Amino acid sequence: MSEVRRESYSSEAVRGFDHRTAMEEAARCLLCYDAPCSEGCPAGTDPGKFIRSIRFRNPKGAAETIRENNPLGGVCARVCPYDKLCEEACSRCGIDRPIEIGKLQRYAIEQEEAFGMVEAGSASAPAAGAGAKVACVGAGPASIACAAELARAGARVTVYEREEKPGGVLTYGITPTRLPQKVVDHDIAAVRALGVEFECGVNVGAGVSVDELLTGRGFDAVFLGTGLWAPKIPDIPGTDLDNVYAAADFLKLARVNGGFPDAEGKTVVVIGGGDVAMDCAATAQLSGAKKTAIWYRRTIAEAPADMSEIRYVTELGIGISENFAPAAVEKSDNGLIARFAGRDGASEAAVACDIVVFAVGQGAEDARAAFAVSTDEKGLVAADPATDREGVFAAGDAVHGGKTVVDAVAKGKEAAAAILAYLNQKGVK
Amino acid sequence: MAIKKDLSIEYLGVKCENPFFLSSSPVGSNYEMVAKSFEAGWGGVFYKTIGIFVADECSPRFDNNAKEGVPWIGFKNMEQISDKPTELNFENMFKLKRDYPDKIMVASIMGSSDEEWIQLAKMAEQAGADLIEGNFSCPQMTSHAMGSDVGTDPALVKRYCEAVVSATSIPFIAKMTPNITSIEIPARAAIEGGAKGISAINTIKSITNLDLDNMTAMPVVNGKSSISGYSGAAIKPVALRFVAALLQDEKLAGVPVSGIGGIETWRDSLEFLLLGCRNLQVTTAIMQYGYRIVEDMASGLMHWMDERGYDRLDDFIGQALPNIVPAEELDRDFKVLPQFDDDLCTGCGRCYVSCYDGAHQAIDWDAESRRPKLNDNCVGCHLCLNVCPVQYCITPGEIQFKEGRGAHEVALSSHYV
Ligand SMILES: Cc1cc2nc3c(=O)[nH]c(=O)nc-3n(C[C@H](O)[C@H](O)[C@H](O)COP(=O)(O)OP(=O)(O)OC[C@H]3O[C@@H](n4cnc5c(N)ncnc54)[C@H](O)[C@@H]3O)c2cc1C
Ligand SMILES: Cc1cc2nc3c(=O)[nH]c(=O)nc-3n(C[C@H](O)[C@H](O)[C@H](O)COP(=O)(O)O)c2cc1C
Ligand code: SF4
Ligand code: SF4
Ligand code: SF4
Repeated sequence: MSEVRRESYSSEAVRGFDHRTAMEEAARCLLCYDAPCSEGCPAGTDPGKFIRSIRFRNPKGAAETIRENNPLGGVCARVCPYDKLCEEACSRCGIDRPIEIGKLQRYAIEQEEAFGMVEAGSASAPAAGAGAKVACVGAGPASIACAAELARAGARVTVYEREEKPGGVLTYGITPTRLPQKVVDHDIAAVRALGVEFECGVNVGAGVSVDELLTGRGFDAVFLGTGLWAPKIPDIPGTDLDNVYAAADFLKLARVNGGFPDAEGKTVVVIGGGDVAMDCAATAQLSGAKKTAIWYRRTIAEAPADMSEIRYVTELGIGISENFAPAAVEKSDNGLIARFAGRDGASEAAVACDIVVFAVGQGAEDARAAFAVSTDEKGLVAADPATDREGVFAAGDAVHGGKTVVDAVAKGKEAAAAILAYLNQKGVK
Repeated sequence: MAIKKDLSIEYLGVKCENPFFLSSSPVGSNYEMVAKSFEAGWGGVFYKTIGIFVADECSPRFDNNAKEGVPWIGFKNMEQISDKPTELNFENMFKLKRDYPDKIMVASIMGSSDEEWIQLAKMAEQAGADLIEGNFSCPQMTSHAMGSDVGTDPALVKRYCEAVVSATSIPFIAKMTPNITSIEIPARAAIEGGAKGISAINTIKSITNLDLDNMTAMPVVNGKSSISGYSGAAIKPVALRFVAALLQDEKLAGVPVSGIGGIETWRDSLEFLLLGCRNLQVTTAIMQYGYRIVEDMASGLMHWMDERGYDRLDDFIGQALPNIVPAEELDRDFKVLPQFDDDLCTGCGRCYVSCYDGAHQAIDWDAESRRPKLNDNCVGCHLCLNVCPVQYCITPGEIQFKEGRGAHEVALSSHYV
């Protein structure tokens, strides 16, 4: 019999380094010239430099490097697909296996927290009152990175978020097993320490308009980092039944309640093959589901999910059925029946379950209506990062479609540079 | 925001932006190298030793020794003084001082007669050096009229110091060899001869490894090898010892010491400062890792100062020196028993093996639970604590006073990394 992993929804699955093990790992680093790992990080976190700091016993210096380059350094340390980024580029691959860069990054940020560096550093935040005013809409990675970069350059930044808490997908999506909320909160505290203000519960476009921000509230520029939050559910019968969820709603309910309420003893069917599907399945299982199964219309080889995520759900005892697309959801005497049609055109499947989760992608909300900016054929905001509306910029998933946290950070930083150039050109100081 | 603290320090009347200097060696042997090191953040350079004698070097000339997975804990070199023309070296020095006026230029010189020492000192002065260091310590010179053979002869040290001091008013520093029992003796001679400061240490005579094919030491130079200088992390304990001896010597009171030997990190630097050094020099770590290491030396030191609330180096220089006392002055009234954290313990049993085979058979091994248990044989030596692979698993625990000795406060270390 195989041993499946049993862990709780809210405790972090991977153990971090202590001083000694961090040093052992840092000692494996080759301290490369012109470090390829640093080239491999889209957000410019500069692992070559921060690992060198750890190696030379300066974890605080390491934390400073990370913080300066990547305001979501703690989050990225947990959720980045390193195997496709910095670690893939690592020169040590030519000897045995890459340096565990993400885990060393986590260690440095844990030291930052242990030493209270964020609290101590907030004293040196630029004085409020000076500088241009910028509003960032949405408190996800793109906005957070943009806001931090702007604040460092002396701008006064307010981030508007329609949910109760900042973080976007970090707070309402990714499972806490992979990303504990306190990690998100710590990174956001560091951004607040730069003087960035967060106003939650404000739905821009509904409650307050972009016009109002630019004229009434006197912002010199607006950044849209609103992500992808329109649920995508295929047009098949039965999706409006009770206990049928879109991934975003399912994950959010779990995040807000410390596990999906009522999953105990239930059978859950998750439909999809991306990271979001894996997160939904893990969430269901860790919330106490009796059985969780993933159904995917293509093969694992074609699935967009990270192999480490697929491995993780498999270790949790979750099975994946390939080549079956959803056909209908029906009500049965004691729950639901999910029906699937085989890719071969001949096979069929009917699965008795209690809960069905569609994790087949997130769509864009109507940005044209909400913010009066142009969108492309997929409904994504057209921005480079300036939109066609003067003073309005956009980046992150809302513009580029579903990408990664580190990509949103990189794009948010770029947008900040474009905003600063725009403000400079307009003569706003 | 990256931390910023004042690391400037006055050393022999010269204001240095920080105490981190290249020590005299290949790391500071031409214009481009030194310029690059200044850009990286080093406060000054002890330029590669210049003589009238121009070295004829062997190849290969380096070796290192390793332990388990860690290469290069110590480094052996068979290099002598500069192999570049004397005039060219002084010209480089002049240009560097012209282009980097705020960085400190120290000319390291080595003569084989009064006349040579005087000539070199005058050339150093003309080149605009801020300070001059006399190399009395290279252990692998091909001439016995130079290097550590001179440095172990107090009369010669004094005489050459007098020669230099007669020729220039620039403060003169004598660089001492560790290949001697009492480093204070030649150091006193140097000060008597007019030197103003002491640098220590140069490299330690060594044989790192033997080559089993050629039946000689490493590195193999056409089938033969020589005893020669050892440096790097492995020599830091010896360097700290000699530095403490110099700083504690009553006859040398007030003489500024520049600390050298195995410095790689801010922590190593801090250790030399806490003994009382006002200047720090590095070679081997730069040869291994490059000038960039100064970034973390400075940043790490600033963070430590920040933690302790210090604003300048003078706030803590020399703080540890009085606490390094002769063995007969140690408090021997008690023993500190080790305590074991059974949850952290991984059950490797290394503490048991070491305590049995190398200490006092004070650990009983519970084969069932694979956990150590202390018995009454423990003398509090802490071999187990040193051998345990798990951080903070074995730590100092109960303090037991010996029969008839009164209980009192006992200060312990709580930080084991
Ligand atoms: C379940 C899941 C798991 C993922 N796992 C990973 C992973 O492991 N690694 C990885 O790198 N990436 C992962 N991603 C992708 C990553 O999270 C996103 O690419 C990233 O969060 C995009 O950042 P963003 O700032 O563009 O948008 P978001 O994170 O979506 O943030 C947008 C924010 O804007 C707010 N908002 C929207 N409209 C308005 C409005 N009108 N007014 C005010 N606020 C508004 C939203 O409430 C939200 O808080 C995952 C995504 C999901 C959904
Ligand atoms: C390759 C090499 C060459 C050296 N050449 C000199 C020299 O020319 N003059 C000198 O005073 N010391 C010389 N040294 C000694 C160093 O300056 C220094 O005193 C010693 O290496 C200890 O410091 P470290 O552990 O930081 O290397 C040399 C050391 C090495 C490794
Ligand atoms: S590429 Fe790998 S080995 Fe090289 S510096 Fe980066 S982490 Fe270290
Ligand atoms: S380090 Fe440079 S000079 Fe020395 S042997 Fe190698 S290539 Fe030649
Ligand atoms: S050496 Fe440390 S980890 Fe190993 S058995 Fe002893 S106490 Fe446990």
